[in-house]
Amino acid sequence: MMVRFKNTMLKLALAGLIGAALVGCGASSQGSANAEVPASAEQVARGRYLARAGDCAACHTAKDGAPFAGGYPLHTPFGTIHGTNITPDKEHGIGGWSSDDFYLAMTDGVTPDHRLYPAMPYTSYRAMKREDSDAIYAYLMAQKPVAQPNLENGLSFPFNIRAGLWFWQALFVEDKQPDVSAGSSASWQRGRYVSNVLGHCAECHTPRKFSGQMDFSRQLQGNTLDRIGAPDITPEGLAARGWTLKDLNAFFATGLAPQGSAYGEMYPVVHLSTQHLSKSDLSAMSTYLLGDKPPAPQPVRPVAADAAELQAGRQVCTAVCAGCHGGQGEGKPHVAVAMKGNSTVRLKDARNLIVATLDGIEE
Amino acid sequence: MMIDFLHEYLNLTGSRLGCGQGVCHACVLIHDREDGTSEEIRTCITGAHFFGGKTIRTVEGLARRNDKGEVVELSAVQQAFLTHYSFQCGYCTPGFVNAATVLVEKLKREPVEKDKVEETITEALNEHICRCTGYVRYFEAVKDVVLSTPGLVKGGK
Ligand code: FES
Ligand code: FES
Repeated sequence: MMVRFKNTMLKLALAGLIGAALVGCGASSQGSANAEVPASAEQVARGRYLARAGDCAACHTAKDGAPFAGGYPLHTPFGTIHGTNITPDKEHGIGGWSSDDFYLAMTDGVTPDHRLYPAMPYTSYRAMKREDSDAIYAYLMAQKPVAQPNLENGLSFPFNIRAGLWFWQALFVEDKQPDVSAGSSASWQRGRYVSNVLGHCAECHTPRKFSGQMDFSRQLQGNTLDRIGAPDITPEGLAARGWTLKDLNAFFATGLAPQGSAYGEMYPVVHLSTQHLSKSDLSAMSTYLLGDKPPAPQPVRPVAADAAELQAGRQVCTAVCAGCHGGQGEGKPHVAVAMKGNSTVRLKDARNLIVATLDGIEE
Repeated sequence: MMIDFLHEYLNLTGSRLGCGQGVCHACVLIHDREDGTSEEIRTCITGAHFFGGKTIRTVEGLARRNDKGEVVELSAVQQAFLTHYSFQCGYCTPGFVNAATVLVEKLKREPVEKDKVEETITEALNEHICRCTGYVRYFEAVKDVVLSTPGLVKGGK
């Protein structure tokens, strides 16, 4: 209890400092926005890579919308929040921000105008290196400005009052997320940064507590999202479903592995983000998730179930699944993934399998 | 698979095997549910056993026949496809006929607003693939049937 209290007091003090810094920034950013050192082509290119690693487009580009102009709806238990316009448009976008403002928004969730809802993963970006934030800033500033107003958020009271965010941020924004794997190699270290900070894996894969804060005592142990849940991606969780370093690498690079394909919320992650990352960064991510010494992948074990139920299930499977997934669940190349050894089928919670069967998978 | 059963055992060769992997929808039949609604089901990826005890219609069952089993009148959808020259090789046609039939029957139960007609048709036919690019004429034919059959459109005739 004492420790917790001390921690909280520290954070409150910290938040106060940020508040003070914000006042300072607000005053200076007007003048300094144009006085930034012009970005080099190299910095912009690096920013592009990092923006992909951070998957900015997933939330800041609406379906069929202009890149980074906002409007993508994010459904949360507290209501719907829309990704905002982060093009360099002066009125609706971030054209008036300095790189200091941008860094503060990325790492503290505080913009020149207001505090950000934690739908923006500053809770993960918090440990972003300043030079990386600057590169992303340079890249975004090099985009076409789009004069698209931001959409109203559909949050219910009291969550629509941004002032409350002050408390939330003071209490729940941690500097560092716990590691779920053990390692010390350079690849593991880099993977920690790519996964925890840039890729913000925990935002979906870590369960949340009552106030929407991540439950770091159960880091990456899986979380229920909309209808589809984000599975357990701790080393043990992954190994229990047969994942290896090689298969994870393939999954991040192509969205496809012997354990299945990326679907639901993970599809845009692969599509917009991971497939564009360098081999070494992908392998760093996999190394971090599994640890320097990955646990052995578990073989598929026969399930214990009622014989009549199994027989009935087998019949339905043969009638409506086998046509594409193969008579023995072996899958068909370029048509349908294998069900045998499939990561979703092996999840303890049948939710994702049921939802995928009922809703289908968006193509 | 059901399509083999239809072709090899029942000699009902109207349903077409196109892609054989659930993409083109040339092979669909109509499943009539007990609640009076219907759906299309792809026979190339669905086992024959699945249909045990279910009521189904294949493309052979849509036209009106006399007691000798001879076709005496095409269904409105079939006729419209002919009138509009909707198809060329016709390989995809049984699928389109079934899709449009399911749509027309659905609109009888739940008419749509006039300004929703086009998107409703697009949605209903969307999954069906035609290599000979007959889409526009298929579309026009179905629109013709929907607009000229009384009771399918709200607020219009
Ligand atoms: S043959 Fe069945 S969908 Fe193509
Ligand atoms: S008419 Fe030839 S495939 Fe449609």
